[in-house]
Amino acid sequence: MSGLVIPSIHYLAILPILIFFGASLLLLVVSALVDTKVTTLLATAITALTGVATIVVAILQWSYVANHGASTTVAHAVVLDGFAVVGTVAIAASVVLSSFVAYDWARRERVAGADFHILALASATGALLMVSANDLIVIFLGLEILSIGLYVLVGFDRHRTTSAEASLKYFLLGGFASAIFIYGAALVYGATGSTNLGSIAYFLSNNLVLHPGLLYAGGALLLIGFAFKVAAVPFHLWSPDVYEGAPTPVTGVMASIVKVGAFLALLRVLISALGTQLDTWRPILFVLIALTCVVGAVVALVQRNVKRLLAYSSINQAGFILLGVWSGSARGVAATLFFVLTYAPVVIATFAVVTLMGGRGDELHSIDHYRGLARRQPWLGGALTVLLLSQLGARLTVGFYAKCTVLAAAIDSGGGALALVAILSAAVAAYFYLRWAMWLYADDDVEATRVVVPPMTGVVIGVGVVVAILFGLWPGPLVTWCQHAPLLFLP
Amino acid sequence: MAPVATLILLLPLVGFLWVLMMGTSLKERVIGVAATGVVALSFVLSVVAFFLLLRHSDREMTVHLFNWISVGTLNVPAALLVDPLSITMCLFVTGISALIHLYSIGYMKGEKDVRKFFLYLNLFVFSMLLLVLANNLLVTFVGWEGVGVCSYWLVSYYFYRDSAASAGKKAFLYNRVGDIGLLVAMFLLFHATHTLTYLGVFHAAGTLSPTVATLTVLALLLAATGKSAQIPLFNWLPDAMEGPTPVSALIHAATMVTAGVYLLVRMSPVLAMSPDGRATIAVIGGVTAFVAATIATSQKDIKKVLAFSTVSQIGYMVLAVGVGAYSAAIFLMIAHAFFKALLFLGSGSVIHSLGGEQDLRKMGGLAKYLPLTFPTFLIGWLTISGVPPFAGFFAKGDVLTNVFEHNKPLWVLGVVTAILTAYYMSRLFVLTFRGTERFREVTHGHDPHESPWVMTLPLVVLAVLSVLGGLLDLPWAHGRSLAGFLAPVLGYVPRVAAASTGAQWGLAAVDVAAAVFGLLAAFSIWKDITESSRYESSFLEHVWHWDDLYDATIGRPLTEAAVFSDEVLEPQVIDGAVTGVAVATRNSAEGLRKLQSGFARQYALAMVLGFAVIIVYLVARVH
Amino acid sequence: MHSSIYLTVLIVVPLFGALVAALKGRTPGLSYAVGVGTASVELVLSLVVALLYNPHVKGAGTWDFMSRHVLSAPLGLAYDVALDGISLLMVVLTALVLFLALLGARDRRHEPAFVAWLLLLTGFTMASFLSHDVLEFFIFFELTLVPSYFLISGWGGAQRSRAALKFFIYTFTGSAFLFIGILYLGFMNQHQTEGALSFSYSVLDHTAMSHGTAVWLFLAFAIAFAVKSPIFPFHTWSPVTYAEAPTAGSIELSALLAKLGTYGLLRFAVGLFPLALPTLRPLLLTLAVISILYGSLVACATPDLKRLVAYSSLAQMGFITLGIVTGSKIAMVGAVLLMFNHGVITAGFFLIVGFLEKRRGSYQIKDMTGLQGPAPVFAAIFTVVMMASIGLPGLSGFVSEYLILIGTFGTHAWWGAAATLGVVAAAAYLLWAYQRVFHGEAKGPNAEITDATPKERWVLVPVVVLIVALGVFPHPVLDRITPSVTQLIHHVAPAGVNK
Repeated sequence: MSGLVIPSIHYLAILPILIFFGASLLLLVVSALVDTKVTTLLATAITALTGVATIVVAILQWSYVANHGASTTVAHAVVLDGFAVVGTVAIAASVVLSSFVAYDWARRERVAGADFHILALASATGALLMVSANDLIVIFLGLEILSIGLYVLVGFDRHRTTSAEASLKYFLLGGFASAIFIYGAALVYGATGSTNLGSIAYFLSNNLVLHPGLLYAGGALLLIGFAFKVAAVPFHLWSPDVYEGAPTPVTGVMASIVKVGAFLALLRVLISALGTQLDTWRPILFVLIALTCVVGAVVALVQRNVKRLLAYSSINQAGFILLGVWSGSARGVAATLFFVLTYAPVVIATFAVVTLMGGRGDELHSIDHYRGLARRQPWLGGALTVLLLSQLGARLTVGFYAKCTVLAAAIDSGGGALALVAILSAAVAAYFYLRWAMWLYADDDVEATRVVVPPMTGVVIGVGVVVAILFGLWPGPLVTWCQHAPLLFLP
Repeated sequence: MAPVATLILLLPLVGFLWVLMMGTSLKERVIGVAATGVVALSFVLSVVAFFLLLRHSDREMTVHLFNWISVGTLNVPAALLVDPLSITMCLFVTGISALIHLYSIGYMKGEKDVRKFFLYLNLFVFSMLLLVLANNLLVTFVGWEGVGVCSYWLVSYYFYRDSAASAGKKAFLYNRVGDIGLLVAMFLLFHATHTLTYLGVFHAAGTLSPTVATLTVLALLLAATGKSAQIPLFNWLPDAMEGPTPVSALIHAATMVTAGVYLLVRMSPVLAMSPDGRATIAVIGGVTAFVAATIATSQKDIKKVLAFSTVSQIGYMVLAVGVGAYSAAIFLMIAHAFFKALLFLGSGSVIHSLGGEQDLRKMGGLAKYLPLTFPTFLIGWLTISGVPPFAGFFAKGDVLTNVFEHNKPLWVLGVVTAILTAYYMSRLFVLTFRGTERFREVTHGHDPHESPWVMTLPLVVLAVLSVLGGLLDLPWAHGRSLAGFLAPVLGYVPRVAAASTGAQWGLAAVDVAAAVFGLLAAFSIWKDITESSRYESSFLEHVWHWDDLYDATIGRPLTEAAVFSDEVLEPQVIDGAVTGVAVATRNSAEGLRKLQSGFARQYALAMVLGFAVIIVYLVARVH
Repeated sequence: MHSSIYLTVLIVVPLFGALVAALKGRTPGLSYAVGVGTASVELVLSLVVALLYNPHVKGAGTWDFMSRHVLSAPLGLAYDVALDGISLLMVVLTALVLFLALLGARDRRHEPAFVAWLLLLTGFTMASFLSHDVLEFFIFFELTLVPSYFLISGWGGAQRSRAALKFFIYTFTGSAFLFIGILYLGFMNQHQTEGALSFSYSVLDHTAMSHGTAVWLFLAFAIAFAVKSPIFPFHTWSPVTYAEAPTAGSIELSALLAKLGTYGLLRFAVGLFPLALPTLRPLLLTLAVISILYGSLVACATPDLKRLVAYSSLAQMGFITLGIVTGSKIAMVGAVLLMFNHGVITAGFFLIVGFLEKRRGSYQIKDMTGLQGPAPVFAAIFTVVMMASIGLPGLSGFVSEYLILIGTFGTHAWWGAAATLGVVAAAAYLLWAYQRVFHGEAKGPNAEITDATPKERWVLVPVVVLIVALGVFPHPVLDRITPSVTQLIHHVAPAGVNK
């Protein structure tokens, strides 16, 4: 009997996605049944388990890929390769860390229920989809799943109107960006007759595009869609407002999970679909990167609100990650992976500290509030110092090697000038990171109250610091791992 | 010979170190005796060395101590060169130093920091001996700088007096300017001859190109003007009189200030390569001698007069060097060391007796109160005035005869200077020992008292030396005396080849006439101080306004430049550029921040604009 | 070839000491004891290395104690240490300066942290001097910023925060160029050899490059080092930083970190890009001479003793740079020697100034008069240090300065002559400062100050001893420097450098 033909599915490839999706559904049900008091804890536990399980799966995936090489499945719509595996690990880890922070935050803000975790898992599902997608439509799908969850999360804090406002802003512009993206996908389809990255690449390599206008326009629109998600200048304007408005744990999610998903997808599109067109995209990216690095670093100088400051700092960091994308080489891919992999925990930990300092109502985010923190609470202050130094790119922190790898990649593919711009922007950025760090050690504010560090948040901060220092002292293995990923890259 | 020479050099250093190590535990008297003892000992050893050298066949030997600096082609041993010249210098340096050490025991009695004084004094003698004994320019330079710094310390010995402090600094800086000359000379010679040892340089001197030779000689001259207080760097010496009088006698009359002359004499083979250079030296010497003499006629401070007379006498020596009469220069140097030390110590004794008063107008009629100082000073005065048969007459005569041979105009200048010399010294003599007693309010009515024997003994010895000093080099015994002894080093030039003995007698007569004329003039003018002070010109008293000139042309402009740099250039321009960048960044940040209006529609607009730009680029790319 | 274990220990000991000092914070004074202990061990160890050092190892040129372990091939990251005559001197200096800083400039506020930062700084500096790998050098070179930053901002004067930030940002910006340059060089080399990415010095110095490339890379390197040294016109961070830093900080910065700049210039800029030297030499020589004369000029007018030392250091750095770039072997040896001597001299200056500040509560010259009366010992020691800095023969400063000048004169007579003026200038500003501070009548609080305590004297003894010893017997040191410099010159020689 003839009917709908289900394409062959290699479940190992989509297992992480399924786990996450399932977990979010499960939570939905559980939270409906169980008494709201325990749900938050339960939800956190389940999220943690999900994350761990996913990482285990990722390991299996890796060994599979290592043996059988990269492969596609679900009618070439999903890909299973080292690249996707690394992305999966980064996302899973980020989700677990964020959920811990969220737990303590929810306790403090008296927000009962598992809503945060459900939404976070859902969004993460989208992100996972993005990193393993091999088809523009699937990427779009992931993008939407990721975004919708976030729209809600951003507006999650009912006590603060800014939260709602940010949510709305994010929703409007995000919708706008999605539209642009899907339209771009359509144009590319029109130009190449396919939305599958592999087919696009095949088409472009075997046919001479006489009228590339359509393709270019499409590619440009796709690029903008991504640029919006990673908040690259001039498509970044939303991010400071949203970062400020969103509940701080959510900001952490946005700075980590979203970036991972978007960057990896962008990279995949540019390399495996438009790899033949690099010369066309590089100049655009060049300008984009220069602007992103400089604007991010410069505007941050005059921010008094740490969440806005971190927003700009993450814009500056995005510029660096884009360097890896720009280079388009294997080295660049590895560099990008290493960067996002290490940046995610550090930035989440940073926002964890900010969450604590925000205090009841999540309002105290003026930089003045941080005066003498390290004098009052050496451990907390010291941890924040390390995290800031890592983002600054200080030597012997992982941040240095992250920057080092992307700069190296850029220089290796002839981007010395771009690298110079980027690193000079880092010198500017150093100013506000240091000024912040210095305020921590100002000993002129004694009567300020100590903040309590709840265990789970403590763990997160600890993880961030360990990552920053451990891989700062001993980057070798991680770098090597990231180096292998692109070797198992499709095609 | 080697150990002797080494000991000559090291004994003063040992004395220095010993006193330094013993710390403040030592008694004042012990220190004085010890310091004097080591110097006296090295004088004795110098005498020994002298006789050893006479027995030595080629009268020249190098004593290698250790290897100081050696990098690539630059090899500088710490080694001594013992030859007639260095031994001659050793003899009178150690001799005079010993006497002045002895004198200082009495003079410095009761001073606050006698230990420091003798430390510096011993270190000075060591440096001076190093200067004269060195076998290469660099080691000489060590001594050269050493005596300079000792002079700095000793001049500013009374450091709590601002005048003393400034004088010390001035002395050091003027010397430092001269040092550039010596450094440059070394650089030139090293890169021309690839060695710094005297014998090596002399050996290669013939290969020097005229330009290099002249440049080197001029550089050496600069060095000499600094150390020996010649024009244009002469005006630190009068200020240096701020130091204790024994210091003025030892450093600023007898020994250190003659180092420049020694250097020039030592480098005679190089001087031989550059007639122009020698001519310049002669002019500098002659002019300095004259200018300083004129100034000396109008000074009110007894030590200032002697200071300028020193400058003037060294001018004679430099003049002699310029005309190639090296042995004459050395002869005058020694004679001058005798009588100038005598005069300084005598003045010191006078000052001592008047409780520190140095103003000539507050003296007079001291003859009968100072039974020993007066006669000795009288001898010194006659000697420097060039009255036969004292040393000064022969020494100066030797110089002038040579000048007459080579350069008549300078000879005239020299004779005029001789007249002036006799004049100002007689003025000094009259104002100090004769005429009315003007010191009463200084001594509060008491009678001045003669100094203790430790101070007067040196006076006597020096007086005797001043009388007999001429024997060192009598015109008719020329080949066999000093000139003959120095011949191996300097090349023996049979003096006044041209001039007949008759001409010599004539020149001698001129000298004597000049001296007598100067004396009579002074005596006739300075009978009564009150109305004769009109014979002093403020122009001369103010050293031809030389200091003001330097202050206006160098001192003040540099100071203003420094202040300008510190207060304007540095903070506003150079650092301003840096801070400017920072400020610009911050301002641009403020500007960019404005974009952050908070309105979603504007954000969307920005996105659209960005899109537009990209499209424009791509369109441009397509076509 | 000796085992590299010595060097590793040299690096590890201070880092370990820092850890202990930081952890033993509770018990008062213990951290300080740990610090002093570490410093002594370090000093002894560095002297042992100095005695063992053998400049004639088969096949390794003048490099000794060499070993290389690759940490991360893809990054080209390696732990690669070696020691030659040039770095040997710097190693001894590093250990010595730590010793002086700890004993002479103890600071009891937050002592554990203070000691820990100081030891960390020493460890990192030591590592940078021992690095035989350019990337490794860069990492430690940059790392030194962090401890110095915290030392200044934590224990400095009123303006400390501003000073610390300015110092950090300025240097950080400078080394941005260095970083790009290093990576660029690395890849250029990799593409040539088609081997693994490596930043090993002995690999990179065989990189073939066009004249233009060499010039650009040299500039990229030189900017970083010129800022660190500092050389005119990149010096404006130094007066404010030296003035605001605590005494220990000023010592470390001027005696040690400054040398990282000149050392880098000599070893990496000149050593790796000899092709660029002929082109850039006029520029560098000019900047060096300006540093000498301009530094001296400002030093004459500056009202603050620490700033004065800062500007005199600028002048000294000018001399060192002069010696490095003229290409004359004699001058280069002199430059290396001056790096060491200036370290000792400037440490002496800052120590004494610090002691005086403790008594008078000010660094302003106008607040001090006639101190020689109440404090003759200080006056005497200051005089020795001052005379060494002026270049009085028989003291250490002279030998190095003389070598630089006579060498420069041979290759670039006019610049040499101009630099010789610096000899007078140094005397001018130092003697004038001395006169204002120590001469004259001591009145009021100046008359009351106590002379050096025995402890203070003992701290200053090594300074004086070294100044005199190296002035009279520079031989053992010169013998260790010269082979390495000769080797460098031979490498650089094709680029128009005469031996």
